[in-house]
Amino acid sequence: MSTMVERKLRVVDLAMGWAGPLVGQMLAEMGFEVVKIEDTLRFDWWRGSLSLADRDLRPIERSAVFNSANRGKLGTTLDLSSPRGVELVKRLVADADVVVENYSPGVMKRFGLSYDVLSAINPRLVMVSMPSFGSEGPECEARGYGNTIEAMCGVTGLTGYHDTEQRYTLSNALGDPIGGLNGTFAVLVALRERERTGRGQWVELAQVEAAVPLVADALMEYQLNNRIPHPIGNRHPSHAPHGVYQCAGEHGWVAFSAPGDDRWRAIARVLGIEGDARFATESARKRNEDALDAKITEALRDKTADEIAAALIAAGVAAAPVYSAPEVMSDPQIQARDFFVPIDRAIVGTHLYPGAVAKFSSTPLVTDRPAPLLGEHNRVVFRDILGMRDAEIDALEAQGIIGNEPRE
Amino acid sequence: MRYSSLSGTRVIDLTHYIAGPYATKLLSDVGAEVVKIEPPAGEGGRRTGPLPANARDLDRGGLFAFLNTNKFGVTLNLKHERGRELMFRLLDGADILIENFAPGTLARMGLAPSDLLARFPRLSIVSISNFGQDGPLRDAPLDDLTLFARGGWTFPVGEPDRAPLTPPGSLIQYVAALYGAIAAMQSLFARDMGLGHGQHADISILEAGVSTMIYESVAFQYSGALRVRAGKRFGVGPFMIVTLECRDGYAGLHCVTDRQFESLCELMNRQELVKDERFCTALQRMVNNDALLAIVEPFFLEHDRVWLYREGQNLKIPMVPIPSVAEVLEWEQLKARRFFETIDDPVLGPIRVPGSPLRLSSHRGAPSRPAPRLGEHNREILGGRLGISDRELESMRAGGLI
Repeated sequence: MSTMVERKLRVVDLAMGWAGPLVGQMLAEMGFEVVKIEDTLRFDWWRGSLSLADRDLRPIERSAVFNSANRGKLGTTLDLSSPRGVELVKRLVADADVVVENYSPGVMKRFGLSYDVLSAINPRLVMVSMPSFGSEGPECEARGYGNTIEAMCGVTGLTGYHDTEQRYTLSNALGDPIGGLNGTFAVLVALRERERTGRGQWVELAQVEAAVPLVADALMEYQLNNRIPHPIGNRHPSHAPHGVYQCAGEHGWVAFSAPGDDRWRAIARVLGIEGDARFATESARKRNEDALDAKITEALRDKTADEIAAALIAAGVAAAPVYSAPEVMSDPQIQARDFFVPIDRAIVGTHLYPGAVAKFSSTPLVTDRPAPLLGEHNRVVFRDILGMRDAEIDALEAQGIIGNEPRE
Repeated sequence: MRYSSLSGTRVIDLTHYIAGPYATKLLSDVGAEVVKIEPPAGEGGRRTGPLPANARDLDRGGLFAFLNTNKFGVTLNLKHERGRELMFRLLDGADILIENFAPGTLARMGLAPSDLLARFPRLSIVSISNFGQDGPLRDAPLDDLTLFARGGWTFPVGEPDRAPLTPPGSLIQYVAALYGAIAAMQSLFARDMGLGHGQHADISILEAGVSTMIYESVAFQYSGALRVRAGKRFGVGPFMIVTLECRDGYAGLHCVTDRQFESLCELMNRQELVKDERFCTALQRMVNNDALLAIVEPFFLEHDRVWLYREGQNLKIPMVPIPSVAEVLEWEQLKARRFFETIDDPVLGPIRVPGSPLRLSSHRGAPSRPAPRLGEHNREILGGRLGISDRELESMRAGGLI
């Protein structure tokens, strides 16, 4: 099978963390050649994130999340504070199609790598910048991460139980994957336009703006009915039961709901709690919801989440165990579609990583290549792409402009 | 905001509710011509909320009005032979078909993806479905509540002594929609950069959700540590990422690096804590997280959200207020950027909707067109494009075809 793009398209990836690097990774899955450039002084900080793996392993190479978001890239280092380092970035950009960066506003300009400079070198260049709150505006300097973007777009204000005020952060730093997906889309749109016009362009993507559509329903509820929705947690505005119920086992919980009386009767039959007049109609169930939830919990005490979910699904009810990560990965549906892909990566060994979400019939995405070590492909990139001689590359190394070690 | 980047790209939209319509909206907002084809009664999303109180005879809820801007609306009964025939004529010359029916539905309509790909070699099809087009659970029912649960989003969130907490709204549907829009673009790249023909992309909404859970799925394999509910904390680790009550609501604190911790101590005027051996490294701050929280929590309770945001950010601590959706709509930063766009919706009146997050330097962008009324563009598309006469359109309407 061929890769998705047969003509070589090159990406210069200056991004760090998750949102920005995800863009380069998704392009690499299509067959783009992605050159990740890390500053030798300020390497991708996500290399140090959640490094809870074996502490004997090299600290900057054992981050599960870095190794998840940089797969299939060529890893290089450059001292971006040195004129020589900046010059080499420009030489890579001269023959590249895409630059992706998510520095704070103004940093690329200070490096001497603003879009104006780069597009003068390469008018066909598409550059995507991904600041948290935008590159202009009164609060553009504010620092944002996946969680803070999740808060500022309105999601956190809606995340909580129905009966308390505490708000909660989701576990996946939602702003990050949303930013990365939008960034990937932005690159592809601008490249597509370039096919038509012959010109590149700069795309600014404020990550918080990419995330605001996630609360569109609440934004509309506020505007149409002048009501700010309170978090509703495991409940539903009109249906009952609707919730997450404890089952047997240490982490045993099952989620299901009854939109309408037919589904409720199916649930009551499966759980063996039919015939209670307090729960005969939807309005009655909603009125007596605490009692209903207690009765359901009582009925589930000796059952496992898996068996209850399976029985409810067989009865036509949407139901699911509340899966932890290892349970998600061993779910028969996830396994049947080979969603997770084993990848052997230097230093950390073989693990399963999420594979292609879009399964293409002719040109599948390539998802089984590891993330690079710091500076792993310096020699390949500077020799094969820039045509430098080994002696020149040795000199760069000696001057500390490239390297495989973080510089103090 | 509507850009013209994809001008000339033609998309046939057979989607409903959220995951499909948001995917095609992403494409229509950047200039693809999206023809949304609905059954004569309209897609289900038109009648789901939020609806204005006492709304009657609306052909749209508020979410529909947002998700379907810049599209053309055509009705067509695909159960009729004539409806399918017109569908084929619309597909002739189209680049992308996006659908989010239950798997097998297209085939039952006589529109099996493999047949369409054979008949229209340049067409690509993006299918978005709950579980994907195969697998043992393919046809099982799934809604947002159970999608969050099965996809691993619910398990690690909430209070340790309460049930795991379901995330709000339909977040995973939007994630899947983004993959759908990207897949549409990817299939165009593949077709025009080597392959020469279209193909089918199969997207599982469940897998889209699972793809974002790398803190769980991958990190768990590395560390063996199961991430469990940690209340107001963002998991347990060498960081203090926490949602705290303050004088007028809640605020988010993101304190990870030593420098951020030093700044936090400065903000609290508790500089002596920097040298406190309980807190002087990220690891120590993890071990003694409860003791540190006991110091930080009262400080937050004494201050307003906006003060914490301003003063914290001045010290380069990524602190944020937790805004309500009303506050997001009035946020000065987004106002200065003219992010929200006012659309004069023909049914709901003026509404403010999120604009495109893409700022493309080669375009100024044009105002968005409102979501179509049911069958609004029947005459323009079926008449203008396919040459159906007004008289035939009238008889089709009478016959329940449009």
